[in-house]
Amino acid sequence: MSAEHIYRLLLRAYPPDFRAEYGREMVLLFRDQCRDGDVRTLAFWVRVFGDVARSAPALRMEAWRRESANTQTVEVIMKIAGILTVLLAAFGSVSAVGEWVVASRGAMDGSYVLAVVLGVFASVLLLGAGVAILFGARWGRQPARVALFASLAMAVAARLLFPWMSIFSQLVGFGLPVALLIALYWPRTPATVRSA
Amino acid sequence: MVSQQEGAIVRKGKTGRPPEAYLPLPPATFHILLALADGELHGYAIMKGVEARSEGSVRLGPGTLYGSLKRLLEAGLVEERGERADPGRGDERRRYYRLTQLGLSVVRAEARRLDAMVRAARRKKLIGERPA
Repeated sequence: MSAEHIYRLLLRAYPPDFRAEYGREMVLLFRDQCRDGDVRTLAFWVRVFGDVARSAPALRMEAWRRESANTQTVEVIMKIAGILTVLLAAFGSVSAVGEWVVASRGAMDGSYVLAVVLGVFASVLLLGAGVAILFGARWGRQPARVALFASLAMAVAARLLFPWMSIFSQLVGFGLPVALLIALYWPRTPATVRSA
Repeated sequence: MVSQQEGAIVRKGKTGRPPEAYLPLPPATFHILLALADGELHGYAIMKGVEARSEGSVRLGPGTLYGSLKRLLEAGLVEERGERADPGRGDERRRYYRLTQLGLSVVRAEARRLDAMVRAARRKKLIGERPA
């Protein structure tokens, strides 16, 4: 296998768009390096691999960020997430209230009541976050973040008080706010471009 | 060898930004712009120019060089000047790059910034009065 063949394989580490734009130039430059350097030395290959290891992940990350910075796509995804959140939170609120009503007919443990109350509040906050995401593409982000953090804290407290919480409730109580927070904190537009 | 991962460099967008808004430049980017201040160059000539000027302390590989060039093109600091063969390096056609007016202003601003820092270091007697 020739040095150039190895380098062509290494080029696959770069994003496809970057490869399409600069792949040929990079191979030409590598050919020049081979001509002027000694490809049989370890130092040569350490430099080659070092360059790929340093630049390819940064360019991949940039390409990925640019892709996810496509606001139209992101906003559509956030709208869908908002609708899903509202539906799940509404269902969670109704089921938590229902559980409270059913439980109130029998003997009720104090910590259980508190867990159910926390669950109701967590669902209501989640509902609020969903509405904020749905109706406030820009202004709604900060209130949604606050509501999600509060909802998550309440869901954690409810789980500690009531360890038999269902898997579904845990997924909605923990998974959904965490996923939405990641989406809300994810940078939308690359403000700076970094050196590879 | 100077780290190529250093700091944020150029902000995106081509219009309405003073050259100082692009500073500070990381060493690799500054060296690339400095190399292009000599005129139109292709990738390998830039790489060799940077290596020679930095006395081997900055060695750009193809990925680092073209990654930086891509960002500089996007920021409008550098522009492409088409493809042609380099008589000294065979028949293959190579892409040539050159500084834009904005790129020239930015590299000048960065040179001034570095110069001011060196003068400050001299005043503090951290380095000699005159360069060796």
